[in-house]
Amino acid sequence: MKKFDYLKPHTLEEALSLLSQYGDKARLIAGGTDAIVMNKQKKISPDVLISLQGIQGLDQIESNGTFKIGALVTHRTIEQSERIKKRFPLLAEASSVLGSVQIRNVATLGGNLCTASPSAETAPSLLVYEAEVLLVSRMEERRLSLPSFFLGPGETALDKKEILKEIILPSPPPNSLGAYLKLGRRKSVDLSVVNVAVLLTLDPKTGICERARIALGAVAPTPLRAKETEKILEGNLLDERLIIRAGDWAKQECSPITDIRGSAEYRREMVAVLVAKAIKQSVKLPRK
Amino acid sequence: MQDFINIGKRIPKMDAEDKVTGKAVYIQDLKVPGMLWGKILYSPHPHARILNMDTSAAERLPGVKAVLTGYNTPLIKFGFYKDNMPLKANKVCSYRDEVAAVAATDPDIAEEALGLIRVEYEILPAIFDPEDAMKEGALLIHEEHLGGKEKKPTNILNLPWRLVAGDVDEARKNSAHVAEDRFKLTWVNHCCMGTSGCVARFDLRNNLTIYSNTQIPALAQRDYTEALAAMGLEGKKARVIKTTIGGAFGSKLDTYAYEYIAILLAYKTRKPVKIIFTREEEFFATSPRQPAVIDIAQGCTKDGTFTFRDVRMVLDNGAYTSWGATTPSVMMMPISSLYKVPNVRYVAKCVYTNNTYSQAFRGYGNPQATFAIESQIDALAEMAGIDPLDFRMRNANTPGEVTPQHFNITTCGLRECIDVVAQKLDWRQNRGKRDGRGIGMASMIHVGGGARVYKSDGCGTIIKIDDFGTVNVITGATDMGQGADTVIAQIVAEELGVRVEDVIVTHTDTDICPWDVGAHASRTTFVAGNSARGASKKVKEQLLEVASRSLGENPENLDIRDRTIFSKLDPEKKSPLGKILRASHYTAGGRMVMAEHFYDPPNENLDREFKGNLSVTYAYGTHGVEVEVDKETGQVKILKYVAAHDVGRAINPMLLEGQVYGGAAMGIGYALTEQLILKNGKVINPDFRDYKILTAADVPNIEAVVIETDDPSGPFGAKGIGEPGLVPTAPAIANAIYDAVGVRIKELPITPEKVLAALKEKTK
Ligand SMILES: Cc1cc2nc3c(=O)[nH]c(=O)nc-3n(C[C@H](O)[C@H](O)[C@H](O)COP(=O)(O)OP(=O)(O)OC[C@H]3O[C@@H](n4cnc5c(N)ncnc54)[C@H](O)[C@@H]3O)c2cc1C
Repeated sequence: MKKFDYLKPHTLEEALSLLSQYGDKARLIAGGTDAIVMNKQKKISPDVLISLQGIQGLDQIESNGTFKIGALVTHRTIEQSERIKKRFPLLAEASSVLGSVQIRNVATLGGNLCTASPSAETAPSLLVYEAEVLLVSRMEERRLSLPSFFLGPGETALDKKEILKEIILPSPPPNSLGAYLKLGRRKSVDLSVVNVAVLLTLDPKTGICERARIALGAVAPTPLRAKETEKILEGNLLDERLIIRAGDWAKQECSPITDIRGSAEYRREMVAVLVAKAIKQSVKLPRK
Repeated sequence: MQDFINIGKRIPKMDAEDKVTGKAVYIQDLKVPGMLWGKILYSPHPHARILNMDTSAAERLPGVKAVLTGYNTPLIKFGFYKDNMPLKANKVCSYRDEVAAVAATDPDIAEEALGLIRVEYEILPAIFDPEDAMKEGALLIHEEHLGGKEKKPTNILNLPWRLVAGDVDEARKNSAHVAEDRFKLTWVNHCCMGTSGCVARFDLRNNLTIYSNTQIPALAQRDYTEALAAMGLEGKKARVIKTTIGGAFGSKLDTYAYEYIAILLAYKTRKPVKIIFTREEEFFATSPRQPAVIDIAQGCTKDGTFTFRDVRMVLDNGAYTSWGATTPSVMMMPISSLYKVPNVRYVAKCVYTNNTYSQAFRGYGNPQATFAIESQIDALAEMAGIDPLDFRMRNANTPGEVTPQHFNITTCGLRECIDVVAQKLDWRQNRGKRDGRGIGMASMIHVGGGARVYKSDGCGTIIKIDDFGTVNVITGATDMGQGADTVIAQIVAEELGVRVEDVIVTHTDTDICPWDVGAHASRTTFVAGNSARGASKKVKEQLLEVASRSLGENPENLDIRDRTIFSKLDPEKKSPLGKILRASHYTAGGRMVMAEHFYDPPNENLDREFKGNLSVTYAYGTHGVEVEVDKETGQVKILKYVAAHDVGRAINPMLLEGQVYGGAAMGIGYALTEQLILKNGKVINPDFRDYKILTAADVPNIEAVVIETDDPSGPFGAKGIGEPGLVPTAPAIANAIYDAVGVRIKELPITPEKVLAALKEKTK
């Protein structure tokens, strides 16, 4: 691993000015569970690592008014947070299956999004919650929706001089139910072969699906929403036939590749299976 | 049953506290003054000619003390086939070929220096499929390698593995049912927690000391001594000192290029040189389990009695040869002797390719062969319309049998093992439903009383007792985490009437320890245990003789219990051990109490036909498993796992269960998740992210059932248990999957994708 300087600013302003000072030579680091691995694999070789760990407030969860999760909040905190478990259970579930306890103790939500892996654990749940990210630079702040934040594998809309400050979560409509499913080869320390989040709002009287949000991971260059599939469900009663059709639609909306973790065909097949499973699990239909 | 004080007790491993608190010194921890760091440059091609090398920039880098290549080092040939050398010149034959090495004052500088070495290659076509490499006119990996009767250039090694007993062709004609299948096994890595490494140093007289992880100190010492001779240092001595070993599992049963490179660098620089593998190197530059393509046919009569077993194998040897190429010698054991099979034929060929080369790995070929045999038994039983449980019982080995390979089966708990597994799985109730849940079983045979693979299968022990009654046991055995230190202490304590904590076991230094052929073949408890017991008996005789003088009692009337020597006739006549010893040391004309014992078991080398009683006794076992198969995802979940083993006697049930748990966990990984994936010769998953070893969360609850047959030749009745735990795991799981959903997977690992594809194929 190449030698680097390690800087630990105490304020966001300081961090931002270090970023502009060092430019391309610098790299931000939060928990380091991606950054250090990339460094060792020589995928990045910064001269300076700027840690965000010393910055006050970035590791806070705010629930008065708009719900905000600081970029430096760890997955361990998320999986154990009563507020998140209650209001955004799919995110809590996603964080709870990321890596292992040791990884979750240090790995952050912001890091997971900025790494922008197609299989990023928390992305599908944040997509169905329609989360936004707040990016700050010395000049300005901007709020982006997640689909416009993710640009490709390892690529985001983050400018070199920007820091992801927080993740903003609008409240889902009442009567929303959902599920997050991860298909891997192991029970821990495993990247998803496919992951799926589903969030459904049903009319309590008729049982008709008023609103559907479905997101898929590890089956396209970025995590993505399956919007056509959502439309199929909306306005309809969720019966077995429709659910299977939804799975088949979702299959068409993804574009997986074959890699070491699974073939494109298998992944496509699993999208159908997981979407159907997640819908059933959300509305507590018995599994066949 | 005898009343034992130390035998049969659950005593934690002696160094367990050191290990969990980080006090144990592994090779990673070892630093010696003036030490340099060595790093190796590997080939970027699977097959290429080296045209030109320029190391000048690396040599000029401050901190670099030596840069070695195949062009500026003496030729050392190593490996039992002598086809490997530490640094390759002229040609590279695989991605793990070492082309240059650097010693520098710190590891980062050494790494940087590697980047400055310029090598020009002419890329050659390469071959990765052993069946292609066997074909007439295939490109040659080693042009100078000649084979066959005509001594022509060939990729097929001169290792004609062939075992024949009875008449297989005739038996086949007379069989009511014959099953025929092809099974394919792939590479898996040992995944030792401690990566490979060593520190080599020379003294001023050019004698070598090497700190190492080896599980074969005496044989490694011989390899290093030969290397010294090749370096022009004939007659110089090699001393091997073992640090705490962070797992071996067969991976340290040979000597490797990196060790010779450390030796060459240390000699060149006159400084100690340390080489430690990164995890990535551990994955691509160490030798995995031997892959195999297995064509197998088995037949039976109408009532399900075995008629024959016919097996042909092609082994991918990789580019060089280590013990992987000799695994057929062990595969013969289950092929000839697992269940009663009157007619047996086995032929195996090892073929050079541009892949990585393989080594010993827990079971030494036995898991591969047993996967084919035991998977097919279920298919054959189905053809015959017989419950596979009844099929196995009908053909099970029994005491007193002589197998087609001339093994004398003495104690044999196979039927008991099968029986207990069937009970635990509620076999009759649960089998044959095909409802997504299924149960399966598979059995195993392995050497349990040493294995005479070399001319000697011996192990020496020296015991001395000091002034305070502390017993020093100096053994040839190697403790690599399996617990040899603790088991030997228990055996000695039992024999001498002292406590386990009175015994100190030393096993780390070839300058001190007696000779032993190494920790292989599940032989350590049996062979080193018998050796330690023999030495204990001699020491005890001396103790009683010394005591007889001070106590005024005939030695035959004396005994020792709980550190006290006493008269069996007059309990008043007694004395603490320490006092007796002090009296012996502080007397004019006094003496030391010490003894040595060399135990070489009465087993036989295999003859020219590969027959002979390889082991004094054989270990048996049966694993049973219940699985649930998700028909939508193809995922297999283990609901229940039972592992029953005939262990002779459990000297330490806690350590024994540890061996079974560890073996079964490795076996489950072998069956379901683990695979070293090679793409055109290159390992593409050299990390734990994509090499799917089970995590603690993935290992199911494993119930270990101990069957004690009290083997008369074992130390206090014990047989070997090091390897058996993973031998029958994969076929037991494959059989359970078949019972659950009716698909037979013949290639490991059984991934969800394979299960799903087979399910689709079936419903077509
Ligand atoms: C053993 C292991 C298991 C893993 N398992 C999983 C898994 O199951 N699922 C999964 O999705 N991931 C997994 N990961 C990947 C990783 O742990 C997660 O992506 C984690 O959330 C990254 O967070 P971090 O704080 O460690 O990020 P870091 O490594 O610190 O940073 C990651 C990247 O984001 C940038 N960055 C970080 N914070 C900010 C910010 N606030 N603003 C701008 N840029 C920023 C960094 O510059 C860097 O490029 C695993 C990693 C390991 C080592």
